[in-house]
Amino acid sequence: MWLIRDSIFIGLLEASPLILAAMGFTLIYYLNGFINFAYGESITFGAYFAVLFNVGLGLNFYFAILPAALLAGALSVATYLFIFKPALNRGVQPSEMIILSVGLSFMLRYGLVLFVGAENTYLAEPPVAFFNFAGMGATNLQLIALILVIIFALNLYWLIYKTGYGEVIRGLANNEELAQVSGINPHKVSVRVWFIAGVAGGLSGIFSGVFALANPQMGWNLILITIMVSIVAGVGSVRGALFASIVAGILTSFITLISKPLYAEVVLLMAFILILWRRGGRIA
Amino acid sequence: MAYLIFSLSLLLIYIGLAQMLHVQFGLLGIPNFGVVGFWGLGMYAVGIMQVQLDMSFVDAMVLNALLLAAVSYGLGHLILRLERQAILCATIAFSAIVALLAVTEKWMTMGVVGLGTIRQPFRIFGIEEILFFIFLLILIIGIQFYILKLHKSRLGRLMIATRDNEELAASLGKDTFRVKLIAFTLTSAIMGILGGLSAPLNQFLTPNMIVPSITFAVWISLVLGGKEHALGSMLGVFVTFGLFDILIETYAPVSPEFAVLVPNVKLFLYGALLVGVLVFRPSGLLDQRTPSDAVVGTLGRGVLKGAVAIHQGVTKGVATVQGKIEHRKKGGGT
Amino acid sequence: MKLHMRNLTKSYHSHPVLNVGEATLGEHGLEGLIGPNGAGKSTLMGLLTRRIAPTTGTVVLEDGEMNHALNPIRSHQVAQLGLVKTNQRIQGFPSLTIRDNLRFAATSHAQETYRGVMDDAQIDEEIEAEIDSYLETFTFAEPDGFANSGGEKKLLDILRCFIMKPRMLLMDEPTAGLPDDVTKKVMDLVKSKVKSGDMTVIIVEHDLELIWKYCSYVHFLSEGEMLFHGTPKDVKKNRVVAEKYMGV
Repeated sequence: MWLIRDSIFIGLLEASPLILAAMGFTLIYYLNGFINFAYGESITFGAYFAVLFNVGLGLNFYFAILPAALLAGALSVATYLFIFKPALNRGVQPSEMIILSVGLSFMLRYGLVLFVGAENTYLAEPPVAFFNFAGMGATNLQLIALILVIIFALNLYWLIYKTGYGEVIRGLANNEELAQVSGINPHKVSVRVWFIAGVAGGLSGIFSGVFALANPQMGWNLILITIMVSIVAGVGSVRGALFASIVAGILTSFITLISKPLYAEVVLLMAFILILWRRGGRIA
Repeated sequence: MAYLIFSLSLLLIYIGLAQMLHVQFGLLGIPNFGVVGFWGLGMYAVGIMQVQLDMSFVDAMVLNALLLAAVSYGLGHLILRLERQAILCATIAFSAIVALLAVTEKWMTMGVVGLGTIRQPFRIFGIEEILFFIFLLILIIGIQFYILKLHKSRLGRLMIATRDNEELAASLGKDTFRVKLIAFTLTSAIMGILGGLSAPLNQFLTPNMIVPSITFAVWISLVLGGKEHALGSMLGVFVTFGLFDILIETYAPVSPEFAVLVPNVKLFLYGALLVGVLVFRPSGLLDQRTPSDAVVGTLGRGVLKGAVAIHQGVTKGVATVQGKIEHRKKGGGT
Repeated sequence: MKLHMRNLTKSYHSHPVLNVGEATLGEHGLEGLIGPNGAGKSTLMGLLTRRIAPTTGTVVLEDGEMNHALNPIRSHQVAQLGLVKTNQRIQGFPSLTIRDNLRFAATSHAQETYRGVMDDAQIDEEIEAEIDSYLETFTFAEPDGFANSGGEKKLLDILRCFIMKPRMLLMDEPTAGLPDDVTKKVMDLVKSKVKSGDMTVIIVEHDLELIWKYCSYVHFLSEGEMLFHGTPKDVKKNRVVAEKYMGV
C-alpha cells in the first residue's frame, strides 16, 4: 500500500519536467510531423539560461524563471526559422528531418559545451524548505514546479481544446493551402507553436535543473524518454501526452522503489519497443 | 607509431560500421539509430567471454556472431514492419538498453569499474597490433568489394526497389519483409562482429564507451560521404574520423589546454556539417549516379597525394623544430 | 485463371464500403468492371491482391486444377501465383532506370540471393531481348534513362506487369494519363495476349467506349455491391446500370 502511495506521490513530483517536455514535443510533432531531437536543447538551454540570470546576473531564482523560459522559446523559434522551415520547404523527408534534428542537437549541445564546459553547473537555489505531506517530504521547489506544471498544462489544454486553436493547428498540419484560404496565417501560427513548445521545454529544463543540476547532456537524456512517452500516448494529442507522462512518471518511481533506477529505464525502453510492435507501425 | 596503428585500426572499424549502415539505410531505407548498441553488445560479449569465461578469441568471436545474429533477428522481427520514424526510435531505445545493461549487470560487465584486460588475438610479440590492423584492412576491403558488387547485382536492385517503394515491390512478387529482415540481421551482426574486434583494440571496456556520439559519428560519415553511393561510407569516414581523430589529433600542433576541447569542437562541427549537408546537398558528397571507378581513382590519387604531403610537412616540421632546439642549445651554450 | 469471391465484405470503422457476396471474375478472358465513383472498385482490386485485408469472406484463385485460398497469404505471394495488378495512381521506383525497372519485375526472386551477388553474369539474355522488344513497341524519350513524364511512368507500370507474364492481370484505370495512341497499343497487346490464352484480364475503367470495344463481359459495381453482370450489349440495355451510372 505504501508502495502505491509513494510511487504516485514521487512519480507526480518527478514527472513534472517530463510532462512539460512531452507536451511541448507533442505540439511540434502535431504541427510538422517529424520527431525533433533538437527539442532536447530547448530543455538544456532553458536550464542554462536560468543559470545565466540566476548565477551570472545575480537575479533571484524566482525572477530568473520567466526570462529564461522566454529565451528558450526564442531559441526554439530560431531553430524553426533558420533550419527546419527551409528544410521543410525543400521537401526533406520526415526520416531525414529527424537526422537533421539530431545534427542540430549535437551542434547546439557541443557549442554550449565549448562555452560552459562539460561539468555540472549549479543554480543558486532559494533556501530549501521541506514540507510534510501526508507523511512524505517534498521541497518547496518541487511543489512550485508541480504548480507551474499544472498551470501550464491547464492553459495549454484550454488553448488546444477549448479555443479552437487546436483545430487551426490540425488544419495547418493537414492542409496548408486550405488553412490559408480560411484566413489563418500559417507562418504566425507555426512560430507561435514553436515558441510555446520552447517555453515548455525551457521550464522543463529549469526544474530538472533544480531537482538535480544543469548539465549539457540533460536535454539529450530527457528527450529520449520524452519521445517515448509522446509516441506511446499517440503523438498528436496533447491530452495523451499529459496522461502518458504522468503514468510514465509514476511507473518509473514504482520500478525505482522496488529495484534500481537504471532498471526502471531498461523496463520502460523495452516496453516502448513492444508497444510500437503491438501497434503495428503508425506512430500517431 | 603504436598510437597511429591504433587510430588507423579504429578508422577501419568505423568504415565497417558505416558500410553496414549504408546497406541498411542507403540501400534499404532502414534508419538504424542504434549502431552503437550492436557494436557495444558485440564488444562486451567478446570481452565477457574472454575475461570472465576464459574463452579463446576465435571461439568468442563465433559465439558473438551467433548471439548478435539472434538478437538482430528478434529485434528486426519486432520493428521492421514499422514506419521509418518508429524504427529510428526503437533502435535508439535498443542501444540505450545495451548501454544501461553494461552498467547494471556488474556480475558480467564489472559495471563502471571496467572490464579487462582483453588479450590480442595475434600473439607475436612486437607486431601483434600491426598484424591485427592488416587483418582488419583485409576484412574491410573485402566488405567494400562485396558492396561494390552488390550495387550492380539483382539483390542490390531488389534492395533499392524496396527502399523506393516497398508496397509496389511486394505487388511485383518480392518478399520485401524477408529482404529487410535478412539484410538487417546480417548487417547488424557484422556491426556486432566489428564490436567484437574492437574489444582487443580497446583492451579495457567501460560502459561510457557505448555513447550515442558513436552512432552519430557513423551517421554523419554516411550522410556526408553519400548515403546511396557504394563508396560514400568510406569517403565519409576519411573526411570525418580521418581528418579529426587522426590528422588533427596526431599531427596538429594543439596546446594541451586546447586539446581537451578538440572532441567537443569535433562533435560541434559534425553537427554543423550534418545540418549543412542535409539542407544544402542531401545526397552527400557522392551522389548515387557518380560512377564508382572514377571515385576509386580520384580517391586513391587523393589519399596518396595527401599522404605524401603530410609526410613532407611532418618531416619539414620536425626538421624545423629540431633546428630550433639545436639553435637554442647552441645559444644556451654560449 | 479465375477469382471466386464468397461473402466478401470490407468495412472501415464498422462503416461498410464493400459487400460483393458471391461473384466470379475471369471466366470470359477479357472483362470490364465499371461503376460510379466511390462504388468500391479500387477497394475490391486491393482485396483481390491482398493489399487490403477483407473484413469477412474469402477469395479463391482457381488455376486449372489448383485452388489457392488468398486469405492466408501476403501480397507478394499473390503475385508469385500469377495474379498481378497495375496501379491507378502513379507508382514507381525513382532510383531505377526504365531498363532496371523491367529487369527487376522480370527477375525471379530465386535469383536475388547473397551468393548471386558474386556472380559476374547479372544479365539474363532472354530478359534483355524481351525488354528490347517492349522498348521497340513503346517509345520512351530516354529508353536507357529514367521515366520522366506521368504518362511514361504509367506506361512503365503497365509494362512491369506485362513482363512478369502474369496468368491474370487486373488493370486499375489503365488509360488515365496515357496518350490515345499508347492506349491503343497497350489494349491491342492485351487483346492478343488474352486471345492466345496467356492470361485473363479485368479492366476497371471510366472510359466506357474502351470497355464496349474490348471486353467480352462486364461487371457492374455500385455502392459496394455487384448489381449486374453480362455482355456489353446486356449491360448497355440494363435499367439499373442506366439509372445508377449513366445518368439516364
